[in-house]
Amino acid sequence: MVQETLLGDIRVLDLADDVGAYTSQLLAELGADVIKVEPPGGDPSRGMGPFVHDIPGPERSLHFFALNRSKRGITLNLDTADGRALLKRLVEGADVLVESFPPGHMAKMGLGYDVLKEINQGLIFCSVSGFGQSGPFRDFKAPDIVVVAMGGLMYLGGFPDAAPYRTYGYQSHYMGSLHGAAGISIALFERDVSGEGQAIDISRQECTTIAMETAMQFYDLRKEIRKRWGFGGTPVGGLGIRVPGRDVYQCKDGYMLWLLLIDWENVVKWMDSKGMAEDLMNEEWQDFIKSVGDRTAMMSLIGTDAFLERMMRMEHLDQVFKRFLAAHPVAELYEEGQRQHFICAPVSDPSGLVNDPHLNDRDYFVEVDHPELGVTMKYAGPPYRLSETPWQVKGRPPLVGEHNLDVYHKELGLSRQELELLTSRGII
Amino acid sequence: MERKTRLPFEGIRVCDFTWYAAGTIPTRVLAEFGAEVIKIESVAHIDALRLAAPTVPDKSGVNVGGWANNLNSGKKGIALNMNFAEAREVARRLIKVSDIVIENFVPHVMEDWGLSYEEVATIKPDIIMVRMPMWGLWGPHRDYVGFGVALQSLTGFTYLSGYPDRIPIGTGVNYPDYAPNPYHTVLALVSALRHRRKTGKGQLIEVSQYESTVATLDSAVLDYTVNGRVQTRQGNRVPHAAPHSTYPCKGDDRWCAIAVASDGEWQAFCNVIGNLPWTREERFATHLGRKANEEELDRLVAEWTAERTAEEVMMLMQMGGVAAGVVQTSEDLLVHDPHIKAREHYVRLDHAEAGRTAYDSVTIKLSRTPGSTHRPAPMLGEHNDEILRDLLGIPEEDIDRYILEHMLE
Repeated sequence: MVQETLLGDIRVLDLADDVGAYTSQLLAELGADVIKVEPPGGDPSRGMGPFVHDIPGPERSLHFFALNRSKRGITLNLDTADGRALLKRLVEGADVLVESFPPGHMAKMGLGYDVLKEINQGLIFCSVSGFGQSGPFRDFKAPDIVVVAMGGLMYLGGFPDAAPYRTYGYQSHYMGSLHGAAGISIALFERDVSGEGQAIDISRQECTTIAMETAMQFYDLRKEIRKRWGFGGTPVGGLGIRVPGRDVYQCKDGYMLWLLLIDWENVVKWMDSKGMAEDLMNEEWQDFIKSVGDRTAMMSLIGTDAFLERMMRMEHLDQVFKRFLAAHPVAELYEEGQRQHFICAPVSDPSGLVNDPHLNDRDYFVEVDHPELGVTMKYAGPPYRLSETPWQVKGRPPLVGEHNLDVYHKELGLSRQELELLTSRGII
Repeated sequence: MERKTRLPFEGIRVCDFTWYAAGTIPTRVLAEFGAEVIKIESVAHIDALRLAAPTVPDKSGVNVGGWANNLNSGKKGIALNMNFAEAREVARRLIKVSDIVIENFVPHVMEDWGLSYEEVATIKPDIIMVRMPMWGLWGPHRDYVGFGVALQSLTGFTYLSGYPDRIPIGTGVNYPDYAPNPYHTVLALVSALRHRRKTGKGQLIEVSQYESTVATLDSAVLDYTVNGRVQTRQGNRVPHAAPHSTYPCKGDDRWCAIAVASDGEWQAFCNVIGNLPWTREERFATHLGRKANEEELDRLVAEWTAERTAEEVMMLMQMGGVAAGVVQTSEDLLVHDPHIKAREHYVRLDHAEAGRTAYDSVTIKLSRTPGSTHRPAPMLGEHNDEILRDLLGIPEEDIDRYILEHMLE
C-alpha cells in the first residue's frame, strides 16, 4: 500500500552541497520527490570521510550518506549553456529549489531567483549560506568553524583555560538546513493560498545565534559577557557559579551528566543506602543539605564568612557525590537516578547510543540496503513520528547520475541520442 | 505599518502549553509568521525560565527574565492553573477553537489533565497535536526527566565535542533545545497543517527530542554501525583542512577561527601572513605534511595571530581569500558586528515591565511574506480578559469567581 505522505505532491531540486543537503533529505522523507543535481563526477562532499569499511570512493562516503537518503540523483554541468538550459527545463516542473552556492553565484550563472521565477511563478527558491544574501560579510568564506565562531556559539563552549572549540558534526550546516526546511514548509503553506512562490534567505550565522541561549540577553540587560565555564551542567545564574551535583562526572565505567539542585536530601539518603554518604547523615549537615538549592540565601551571604563556609560545605558535598558516582556503573546510576526523578544522563559514545535499550525498544534506527556495496546500513531514524502520514526512508542515497535516464529521457523527453551527446560533451 | 501581504499563518490559532526552550521556539516561529499563539501558564506550574537569569536589573518577578522573554516574543499569554477542573474546561474550550495544540512535558502531564491526543481529538477532530517529550511518548524511559544538556550527553554530542585529552563537557549550552528540536518540529507541524487544509485530517506529531537530536549527528551513527568505529572528540581538527582551529589574538580572551582546506587556500594564507620563512618549510608544503605537523603549525599560526586583533586577522584573511571568523561574544554580536547590524538581526521591543530590550529576530527570511518580531513576550496572564471573555465568551461573573479562587494566576 502506498502511504499517504505530507509532501507527496512536491518536487524538489537539490543543488546544495553538504552545507544544505540535509534540507531536502528532510523533505524527501516527508514524501517529496527530491532530485539531487550534482556536477558530473558527483558532489565534492562524496569525497569526505569516513568511508564504508574505510575504503575511499564517491559511492562510499558516510558523510554524504547521512545527508542524502531518499533522493534521486542526476548530474548536470551548470558551467555550460546547455546545462543551464536543462536546469531551466527542470525548474518548470519543480516546486522547490535548494542551493548553497556562495551568494550571487546562481545569479552569475543566469539562474537567480528573478530569472527562474519568470519560468515558474510558484517556485520556492531556498538559499542556505554562511552569512546570507546581503550585508557586508555576505561574500566571506564560511566553513562550519567560521560560522559557529561568528554566530557566538563557539565562545560559550569549552574550558576557560583552552581555545574555544567547535561542536561536533558541522552543526551550522544542520542549523541552516533546518531553518531552510522549516522556511520551505511555511512558503508551501502560503503558496497554496497565493499561488506564488518566493525566495528564502537563510544565514547560518543568524541560525547559530539562536543557540547562544541567554548570552545575548546577559549583555543586553546586564552588560555581562557570558563565557565558557568549563563544566558540563547549566550553571546557576548562567555565569558559571559552581554548585554541587551539576557537572559531568567520572563514574565506574564512563561519564555521566548530573543536574541536581533541590534534590540533595534524597540523594544523600540514596548514597547512605549504598553506605557511601560518609559524614553527610550527621546532624550538623542536615540544615545545609535542605537548603543547598537556595540561591537567594547563597547570594545574600556574599562577602561574609558564612558564604565561605557554605562554599566549603558545597565542595565537600560534591566530593562525596563524586566518590559515590566513581564507585558505581553508569547504567545503574542512570536507572536508579531517573527512577527518583533526578536529572541525569550517560555521556554516551556512539556505541552506547546505538545500543541504548530505549531507542531500540522504539525501533529507532532504520536499516537501508546498499546492494552495490553488499551491505545493509543502520542509519539514525525519524526526527518525528506522525500518526497519519509517517516519516519514511525511500532508499539509499543516489549513485552519481543514477537517475539521468529516468529524469532526462522519461520525464523531460530528451532522446537517447541527445542524452548521449550531452554525456559526451561533459554536460551530464 | 500596513502589511502588503497576508501572512502565512493569519487565522491560525495555537494552544501553546510549551515551556523552557525546545517547545517555545517553534511557537515563536509560528507567531513571527502571523499565527495567534496563546501560551498557557500558571504560577503553580511556572515556566522556570521566567525566573532564571538574566533578569532586568533592579526588578524582580516573573515578567523580567530575559531568557523567557526572548523565547516568547509575538505570543499572547493566559494564566490558568490546570489543577482546577474548571481550568481544564477552559482549556478544552480554547482547544475547540484552535488549530494546533503543542506541549513539551513529560507524557503523564497532559494525560493527567485529560488531554491526551485521543481526548483532544474528541474536542476538535481535525486538531494537529504536537507532543515533544524528551524521550518520546512510549518506551521504557518515557517518564525520564531532563533538559537539553542531558540530551546532549545522551546522544553523543557531549562525548564527540571537545578535546581528546580532556573530560567531555559539551557545547556550553542546551544545544538540542535551540537547533534540531524546534526546527524539526516547525517543519513537521507546518507540513501537517498544509495536509490538513488539503484533506481535512488532523494528526498527532510525536517529536521525541532524543530522537530528533540523534538525527543530526552526521556520520557518527553510520561510522559505528558500518565500520564499528567509535568516533571520539577531535577538538577543532578535521581531516580535510589544516590549519583549522581557533587562534589567540590581541586582547583578553580574543580568538579567531581560521580554516585552510586546499593548496590554493594555503598559498593565499601564506601570502596574507607575508610568506614568513616557516611557511616555506618542506614539512608544510603538502596537506599531508600540514596534517602530520599540525601541532607545530598551530603554534606558528598562533604566534602570528597573537600580534593582531581578532577583527584584523579575520579581515586580512577574508580579503586574502582565506576562511576566518572572530569567535564572537554576545557583545560583539549585539553591538559591534556590522553584518548582523546591516541585516537587522536583533530588534528592540518595549515591554511593560522589562522595558526596551533586545530580541532575536526572524531567521527564516521570506522575500514576499516576511515575518516579523513585532510584539514582546506576554506578561503572565496578560491576555486573560481578551482570551477568556472576548474569545471564549466566558461570562464576567465566572471570570470574577475564577479570580477569587486563584485559578487565573
